[in-house]
Amino acid sequence: MLLSSFHMPLNLVYYGAWVASIVLLGFLVAALAVKKLWKKFPIFSAYALICFLQAIITYLLRGRTAVYEYVYWPLELTGMFLGLGVVYEIFRNLFAGHSVLRKLATTIFQSCLLLLFLVGCIVMYAHAPVQGSRLAATSYVLEEGIRIIEVGVVVLLFVLSGAFGLHWRQTVFGMAFGLAIFVTIELAGISLVAHVGKTMMAAFMLARAFSFDLSLLVWLGYLLAPEQVTIESEVPQRGQLEQWNRAVKELIYQ
Amino acid sequence: MIILLFVVTFVVCAFAVLFGALRSRSRHAVLRPLDVGAFHALMSREDELFLREHLSRSTFFRLKRERVRLSLKYVDRIAGNAAAVIRLGEMGRNSQDPEVVASAARVSELATEIRLQCLLAFAKLGMEFAFPWMQLTPAMLAPKYQSLRENVLRLGTLQSADDGGALASAI
Repeated sequence: MLLSSFHMPLNLVYYGAWVASIVLLGFLVAALAVKKLWKKFPIFSAYALICFLQAIITYLLRGRTAVYEYVYWPLELTGMFLGLGVVYEIFRNLFAGHSVLRKLATTIFQSCLLLLFLVGCIVMYAHAPVQGSRLAATSYVLEEGIRIIEVGVVVLLFVLSGAFGLHWRQTVFGMAFGLAIFVTIELAGISLVAHVGKTMMAAFMLARAFSFDLSLLVWLGYLLAPEQVTIESEVPQRGQLEQWNRAVKELIYQ
Repeated sequence: MIILLFVVTFVVCAFAVLFGALRSRSRHAVLRPLDVGAFHALMSREDELFLREHLSRSTFFRLKRERVRLSLKYVDRIAGNAAAVIRLGEMGRNSQDPEVVASAARVSELATEIRLQCLLAFAKLGMEFAFPWMQLTPAMLAPKYQSLRENVLRLGTLQSADDGGALASAI
């Protein structure tokens, strides 16, 4: 059982974080429903719902090792693929209304996705054998490959938006940032467990639980806080304006 | 172990990007003044040719790098202003007036084009900084920026007569 690697006080901290994630996920699902954001972000809403169900089901099954693994990994893999869907949803929202950029960004995005897919495949192919049951070992390797793709595409979103000077709407930024925190820590943790061994399991499980709680707080915070207008334009002095105008005219007519 | 090292490096880079994204989001989009004339003069190839002919190789390279550094600051400012205008265009697109919406779309498109040109300019100036004997200055950037300025003026006039001129002049 995964949780057997914990000592008693850590066990309590871990369960506390787990219960907190269930409560926060409940708030998130409720917020998405009440604000009717599921219409605008259907994949993210489905992702939140799957995570919520996963958290409840796995919590209820926490004492039953055999059943737990067979329920945990399929739900985890579904969540990972939905996570990739969330990235696509963020991409679509970020580039909505920027037709010129969307074409270029799509090309860059597809190329990078292909590259990340190749990297993910290489990592899975070259992976050393992982301890544990066959299902868990296979799932660890698969998860590491998929998380590399997931982290890569989320980071690419931030790089592209920065390069193109795009403005993130608050909700979309929160979705991307929360997801990025979770998947990045998850990738680091899963890699350490898969490569170093089960000695890292306790640290990984704690880091995972806290990073997921942090992501949930980020999602809730950005979802519930009012949108901030961040543009500021200071009107320069008249003399300065005329000076600039003359300079521009010189540029045009020279 | 190589895979683990790769993943750790990947994760560290990812956190660096995330930290940068969070920092840049907390910064407000501000239209900063720009002396287009000075920028144009800075890009002058005639000056560069004169300096190349009359200065020693090492002095010329040092001066050229100084010019490139300054040019990068100008391009950075144009890129920042273009990003602010893209944001302004997004806000204009929510207007009820179809003329404002159309004008906002034009402005956004042009600002986007300039932003892309700025990326190219960064790359070219970077190359010139590394290899000062090269001549790759993006001469098309200044006229495009002027065109953006005119479009912003038009959008500003449609939205608010008072703010439009000041805004266009500010960039």
